[in-house]
Parts: sequence; structure tokens; C-alpha cells
Amino acid sequence: MKYFRYAGFALLLGLIASCTRDPLSDLSPEESQVFITNRDPGANFQQYKTFSILDSVLIIGNQGRGTSLTDMDITFLTSVVRNMQALGYTYVGPRDNPDVGINVAQVRNAYLNVVSQPINPYLGNYWGGFGYGNGFGFGYPATFSYYQTRENYWYLEMIDFKNPDNQNNQFDVIWSAEIRGRGLFDTEYLENMVNSVFDQSNYLRLN
Amino acid sequence: MKIIPLLVVLLGTSLSVCAQQNPQLYNIPTPFERYSHYQIIARGGAAIPMGPFATGYIDKSTLENYSIAVDWILQKPFSVGLELGHTFFSKRIPRATYNIDGQDISAVQTRTIKLMPLQGVVNLYLGTTNARIRPYLQLAAGGSLVDYTLYYGSLGNQQQSLKFSYGAGVGSKFLFKKDGSIGADIRVKYNQTALNFDYIENGVGQLNATAGLFYRWW
Repeated sequence: MKYFRYAGFALLLGLIASCTRDPLSDLSPEESQVFITNRDPGANFQQYKTFSILDSVLIIGNQGRGTSLTDMDITFLTSVVRNMQALGYTYVGPRDNPDVGINVAQVRNAYLNVVSQPINPYLGNYWGGFGYGNGFGFGYPATFSYYQTRENYWYLEMIDFKNPDNQNNQFDVIWSAEIRGRGLFDTEYLENMVNSVFDQSNYLRLN
Repeated sequence: MKIIPLLVVLLGTSLSVCAQQNPQLYNIPTPFERYSHYQIIARGGAAIPMGPFATGYIDKSTLENYSIAVDWILQKPFSVGLELGHTFFSKRIPRATYNIDGQDISAVQTRTIKLMPLQGVVNLYLGTTNARIRPYLQLAAGGSLVDYTLYYGSLGNQQQSLKFSYGAGVGSKFLFKKDGSIGADIRVKYNQTALNFDYIENGVGQLNATAGLFYRWW
């Protein structure tokens, strides 16, 4: 009887500790998508009239580099061109001195992480008394849990060819966008994704 | 030969003791009244967000709110114990654009917070130990493991921390049968957890309305 009591108690404790449902289980791919845009606050977009775009999609990240031009990539690039034209920019070839250039990339990264137990951050400098300096983390044996994260996302950037930074030999990026979430490589959502990043960057519009 | 009168005297006294005890057999206090004893309570029910937490982060009530408590019932109208709880709040906000550090982020927000308080609990009872209905007042304080996770689409911004938490409540116990060991428990408790992170600036206030079952033993 006594053991039943303890077993029941342990079971309840276990239930309490483990029962959390996944809060994102009912999120549709469209709802999961995040559109992030950045701009150079000093840039005056009214000075640009023409643009050009890279003829294929760059693949960057720690999973290899290269270029890609699948049907999906073509759809994406065409959609970017259409959005830029709708904002008032004129499409020109890359050799016709465009005011701005647009790069489109797929970022593919994979990381291996040790599962962080909530207790770690609170130790602070507790172990400092043993003479270990700052910057020491804990090493975990291979039998502990790891998780692998992969990120695949779209990245767009706009480069200012009109005002080159001659001092540093570089062209400045004046606008960038990231598209993250699920369903990113599903043609069904491509058009809407590209429209979204331009829609939320209304300052790009030419009068 | 001296032993016989001694035995007679002994028999006489023990008989008289029996005669005194027998009529009172049904009046003596039960073990629950005579000894301090233990009680285990499992509770579940609604948690309602309160105060700045409700206006600034999540205002949606949850039913994912339960706890287990072990109490040591003293021979005074007090008990002391420990309670381990679990509450999970979440709310979905339709797509909107947020400006964070100069970046425009368009996303569907899923706001969540998970609280796992472990609190020391003191109860003050109004009825006697064996009363069928025994109301109580409660004070609690301890630490809470807080998991604040705010999702932008499928990207999460998470902070886990251990925070001070305290609460006060009123409730009542209902014994299923006279002198029994099983009963029901109803409680309303206000709980506050200190937290200042991101959308939450003034802690997490919640009102827990729970029903539960208890078992007591000695």
C-alpha cells in the first residue's frame, strides 16, 4: 500500500513535468512564415530609377555554396522583378549601369547543439572560485542529448551601385529581406511571400 | 499464599477499568483527531490571467493548470506543506508587422508562458480536523520555473528562468464520509510570479480556480 502511494505520487509528478503540448501544432505553413526587412536609414530611395537582378539564385550557408536556377527559382526572380516594376523602378540589364542591383539567395545552414538545461544560466560565476576563468562552458559527453537545427530560408538584398563607397572599395547594401518559416520552397506560397516583403517596405515606392 | 489476594485486587481494578472504558468506545477521538497526519491533494482547473500580464501579454484563460500538494496537518488549526504546480498559457495573435531594433517583422505571434511553481504552503483551517466541511485560508511562497517563449511564426524567442512566486487563496475541504480518508477540495487562489522580460514588465498574475481530490493518512 505504501509503495503504491509513492508510485502514484511519482507518476503524478512525472505527468505534471511532461505535459506540455506543442503550441505551434495548429500553425499553417502560411501562418508560420516570417517576413523580416531591414533598410539603411540613411538611404533616400527616391534617387534610384533603374534596377537589375542576378540571373540565378545564390546558395549560401554552411551546407555548400553555388547557384541554382530551377523553375521555382525562376518563379521567385520573376516575382521580384514584377514587384520592383510595380514600385516604379525600370528593369535594365546588368551591364546597363543599373542604380541598384538585387541578389536573391537561399541560405542553408545546419547546426548541432547541446540541449541547454534551464539550470545552466543561473550558475553564473559560481564555479569561478575554482579558478576557472570566464568563457568556460560545460563539456557534455556524447551520450547526452543533442539536437540538430537546420535553417533554409530566402534572403534578398538591394545594393547601391549609384553611390559606391570608393574609400572602402565596396557597394553598400541599402535594403534586405529574409523569408523564414515552413512551406518556403512550395510554389503555392512563392508569389505571396515575395509580395509580402515588398508590401511591408512601402518606402521603396517611387513617386 | 500472599499472591491470591494480590491477584484478586488486580482483577478488581482491571474490571473497573474495563467498565469505565466500554461505554466510551464510540466517543474516543479518531486517529485523525488524535495525531498529526498527512494529506495529498491533486488539483486541476482554470487559470485566469490578471493585471498587467493580461493586458500586456496573454488575456486568454487556460485549463492547462494543475498541481499536487502534500500537507502535514497539525493538531492545531494549521497545516504546512509543499505544492508543485504547472500552468501553461498561450495566445495566437493574427499577422501583424512589428518593428524590432529597426527591423520590420511581419509574423503571426504565438505567445506562450509556462510556469512550474514549487511553493511552501501554510493553511489556516476554520473547522475541526474531522469536520465534513472544512474551509481554509492559504498563504504560499516559493520559486517558479518560468519558460517564456514568444514565437514569430515558427521562430521562437525563449527565456527560461527561476523566479520568486507567492500567492494567497481560500478554499474548503469536503470529506466524502464521516471520519473517511478521501474527500474533495475546492480552491480559489491568486498567484503572482516575478518576471520582467520582453512583453512582461510587472510579473505574471493569475487567478486559479481549481477542484481537486485529497487523500489523508496517518
